Amino acid sequence: MPPSVPLLEAKNISKTFNGAVRALDNVSIVIYEREIVSVVGENGAGKSTLMKILVGVHQPDSGELYYRGVKVPFPRNPLEALQRGISIVYQEKGVIPHLKVYQYLFFGLEEYFMKFGRLNLGRIFSLAQSIFDELKVKIDISRYMFELPLSTRKLVEIAKAILSVRCVAAGRCDSSDYNPIIILDEPTAPLSTEERDELLSHLHKLKEGTSFIFVSHIIPEVIKFSDRVYVLRDGKVIAEHNLCEEKVDEELLFREIVGREISRYLIPHMISKEELKRRPLVLSVQNLTKKGYFSNISFDLRKGECLGIFGPAGSGKSEIVKCIYGVMYPDSGKIILKGKPIKLREDPGDRLSRGIGYFSGETGKELFLYWPIRKNLSIVNLDKVTRGPFKAVLSITAEKSLAEKLMKKLRIKAPSPETECFSLSGGNKQKVSVAKWFERMPEILLLEDPTMGIDVGSREEIYEVLLDMKKNGVSMILVSDDPKEYVLLCDRILYIMGGIQQGIYTVEEFRRLMEQ
Amino acid sequence: MTAVPLKELVQRNLNSIIPITAFIILVVGLRITNPYFLATRDSVVTLALDMSWFLIAATGLTLVILMGSFDFSVPNIVKLSAIICGVFYEYLGFGVIPIALLVSLIFGLVNGLLLARFNIPSFMATLATGIIAEGIAQLISGGYIRVIVDPNFIALATAVIPPGIGLPAIFYWALALWAIGIFITLGTPFGRKIYAIGSNIEGAKLAGVKLIKTRILVFMLCALYAGIAGVLYASQLQGSHMHIGTLDTLPLFSSVVVGGTALAGGIGGVHRTLLGVLIVKWLDSGMSMVALDINFRMVVFGAIALIMTILTIDRRRVKIIR
Amino acid sequence: MSNKVSRSSALKSPILVSVTRLIRANPVMWAIIVMIIIFSAIEGDAFLSTRNFISILRGFAVTLALALGPTFVILTGRLDISFVGIWMFGNTLAWLLFPHMGYYSLLICPIFGTFIGFLNGIIHAKLKTPAFISTLAMTAVLGYLTTIIRNWLGVISLTVPPPEFAQNWPIPYLPLPFLLALPTIILALYIMFFTKLGTYFCAIGSDEEAVTHMGVNRDKYLILAFTVSGMLTGLGSIAIFVHLGWQAKVLFDLDDVVRGLAAIVLGGTPLSGGMGGPHRTLLGALAYVLIFNGLFLLPGIDPNQLKLYIGALLFVAVIAASKSLKGVIMT
Repeated sequence: MPPSVPLLEAKNISKTFNGAVRALDNVSIVIYEREIVSVVGENGAGKSTLMKILVGVHQPDSGELYYRGVKVPFPRNPLEALQRGISIVYQEKGVIPHLKVYQYLFFGLEEYFMKFGRLNLGRIFSLAQSIFDELKVKIDISRYMFELPLSTRKLVEIAKAILSVRCVAAGRCDSSDYNPIIILDEPTAPLSTEERDELLSHLHKLKEGTSFIFVSHIIPEVIKFSDRVYVLRDGKVIAEHNLCEEKVDEELLFREIVGREISRYLIPHMISKEELKRRPLVLSVQNLTKKGYFSNISFDLRKGECLGIFGPAGSGKSEIVKCIYGVMYPDSGKIILKGKPIKLREDPGDRLSRGIGYFSGETGKELFLYWPIRKNLSIVNLDKVTRGPFKAVLSITAEKSLAEKLMKKLRIKAPSPETECFSLSGGNKQKVSVAKWFERMPEILLLEDPTMGIDVGSREEIYEVLLDMKKNGVSMILVSDDPKEYVLLCDRILYIMGGIQQGIYTVEEFRRLMEQ
Repeated sequence: MTAVPLKELVQRNLNSIIPITAFIILVVGLRITNPYFLATRDSVVTLALDMSWFLIAATGLTLVILMGSFDFSVPNIVKLSAIICGVFYEYLGFGVIPIALLVSLIFGLVNGLLLARFNIPSFMATLATGIIAEGIAQLISGGYIRVIVDPNFIALATAVIPPGIGLPAIFYWALALWAIGIFITLGTPFGRKIYAIGSNIEGAKLAGVKLIKTRILVFMLCALYAGIAGVLYASQLQGSHMHIGTLDTLPLFSSVVVGGTALAGGIGGVHRTLLGVLIVKWLDSGMSMVALDINFRMVVFGAIALIMTILTIDRRRVKIIR
Repeated sequence: MSNKVSRSSALKSPILVSVTRLIRANPVMWAIIVMIIIFSAIEGDAFLSTRNFISILRGFAVTLALALGPTFVILTGRLDISFVGIWMFGNTLAWLLFPHMGYYSLLICPIFGTFIGFLNGIIHAKLKTPAFISTLAMTAVLGYLTTIIRNWLGVISLTVPPPEFAQNWPIPYLPLPFLLALPTIILALYIMFFTKLGTYFCAIGSDEEAVTHMGVNRDKYLILAFTVSGMLTGLGSIAIFVHLGWQAKVLFDLDDVVRGLAAIVLGGTPLSGGMGGPHRTLLGALAYVLIFNGLFLLPGIDPNQLKLYIGALLFVAVIAASKSLKGVIMT
């Protein structure tokens, strides 16, 4: 399939962040004309760093770049990358919802359509139409982006990426003899299975004039749709396969990606299946559906158990948890709390009164950064720091002693309870956040990315706190991007893909399933 | 504790330094220009009458601003409440007071609902309700100001305490309501929730603060304060011209902001509003002593409000400013 | 505002599709038609007379002169209340310059408007002040300055003698203020649809972060939005000057602010921005004018109730426009 001279060759790219984190270590990849190359790996393997270097968002510490055999400098910003013919469609940055399709397509590129100082609308419309004809897809270009289904939106984003390269690099938006390189960052993650296949088959048609770098961790798709695969692990390319010539099966790829790490974890604290059945039922979710995000999710939660909802980004896992807490509302289904059904549409305040709490690792949102520690700790524990009739009077002394108690127990490193939270380190911020829930001990605690972006030491401490709470009877639901977290904290795992529940397994069963 | 450079210290405490400095400058300046300023009992009484209803209304407004919202309808509710008292006193006597307060509460409820349930920006919602309040006021008063001559009612605001040498009652009302406001905001969980909403509304929601209920309550409280201010204003009116209107939003807002409460919410509080009201009212007196036009004074208030807002906006926190 | 799925084939021009959709789906359009029918039925001759038609056109022109400019700022999700101040003070400047420049002094209005708009933009984008506060302060300052100037100069009104052709206006059915407002309308529509500004303003209102992420200079376009707003208001204020009898208004009245905002809101441009535009404001202004025109002609109308109606109208408009398409929590 590939001709002799590669379209783009990146050699020996290395990148270290902040002197400590080695994101990429001597990575080399090659892309030929008219092919789909996949780059796979776990979170943190270096995939997104590599892509960001190719589009000019980061600069590598070392490495060389060749375009059609000629050495070129690395792009210093996305515009230069466009000039080089490289464009990227991000996973989550998203479209601008209120723009019409044709407005979005050419957003940022209007200068190529000016005639006598005004927009040449006729040309815009005809070009928009033609790119979709090329993609062999029927889209009403006068629709608003928010009206389109998710997979169509992705297609429009891809079309925009292609058009951007053509305009900027080739100077002419209608030139189709230029071979752009489009990087697709997890394009299928938010889609359902049918939508995925549709999108990928469109990509195949496009291959005739474009090369794609497909970043993913959905192994079956990678094998089905790409020509070649690179496997990244810990910043290194540990394998390269040519799928046209080799027969590669999913198990092989999975093992290469994961490196057999999962089996190394000890799980002494897990509750056995039999024990679980004896525990009282705390929460029962039946056929929970939210159009566009997830459908027919059903599970039970027992006292003191931790259920993990596991799936790739965009699979609907975070939306499920948000719906249980009332940050979002589901469309239909039942939520039964301790035997009594509760309203689907309720605010977090009401959920909290019922004993459901929510802890998000996103401290920017959760924490009151400009408040002192004691205020952050008391906000969900107000009834514990009030005195007097009707619990009306807030007692600062009670707050202070609560804060001191929790700071000691969780080893929060700060000068005093009056310290404002923004000055704390990431790990300590997270600890403050989790401490307030520790004090509250809700019956059910929903966890979303509890250890997002913090150092290993603090991470361990937070796990300790969570496990402590679990021992005290708090039931939990975990949503995270880190598979190790599921293994450490959960008793059972609900596996979800594209919004559809694939099954509920014990951690042991799940591990075996993943390794098959 | 590491030593904090002076520049940073100043910047961080700007919203305390400015009001205090302004206050000192004003007192000194006014004393110099007019030796009679606050020297005679009469001038003190006049000032007390002028600023007391204003302080009550400003305290209510502070509660709303602390949440990060805005209430355009406050002066209109004051006016409506005063007019209700004036127009219906001959039929209902002291019974007008609960009516006026009830009407104010209803406006507060509507304001809160528009924001919390219908997600309408508060300035827009309260602009609309404010005009409705003014419209109703115009409708029931027919353009005339009915002055109440019943000495009992007048005494509500103007009875001098202690008799003969003290200050009018309204002054004490105002201080008491202000103190209650401080207690609510700083000493109750409800007040903590107000600050929470103003500091980080998403975080407040996640922490279980009931946004709809709390916000409606705050708007109702603000309207209640405005209603009380209106009743007391009607009491002290005694034949003088009523000149409250939508125009007063600007000085009211200025006094809250000058005191050091930030527009975005979460910073400052009712305790600062007293200082802000004093500054604004004294500035006003000072300007009228120099015979400056009412319009010019409005310009000054507008400029002050703008400058204080620019200075006290906590740029660290707010990424996207609308 | 419902967006019906268009069944047009891919070949039909998107402009045509949008226009048909606007007419079919926009409830304001129906409200306007209904109002015309009802008022014609109740008031008959008074409503359908030539005199009334001219009166409606005048009101329409004046409302648009106030509302078209701020529409662009609202597209970005910000509020611009400075239009009243720009109009009043700009007219005052024109009056001041009249003895030296004759009727050409009116040209100071758009120039002044552009300047103030630019200033608003800088205060908002660079000094990071919430737009509604800074434009509110701006409008109050400018408005009151007008009164101050009048008082200081000791004149009763700021009037300019109308030129010959205006005194005996030859064209039937089309009053001069309306014609003077036309350039503003055309310019607003041009900017919206024939330059990239319309798209960019909507984009900022829709998803600011995505816009910045795409490498677009958000601050630059914000400043442009305010500048455009000021310029259009300034240009339109010439029509208002003429409409009021070739004089500047000297008393600052909050009702004028309401008028402009109501037209925008009634037209269907959401306050959170992202969608809408001057084409919608046209409809909103028409609706606003029709309501008040119709109400005035109703037998037995009490002038004391007028304020109440304005408030009630704004109230209804605001609720009707509250279906914001984003999940943002308003404050």
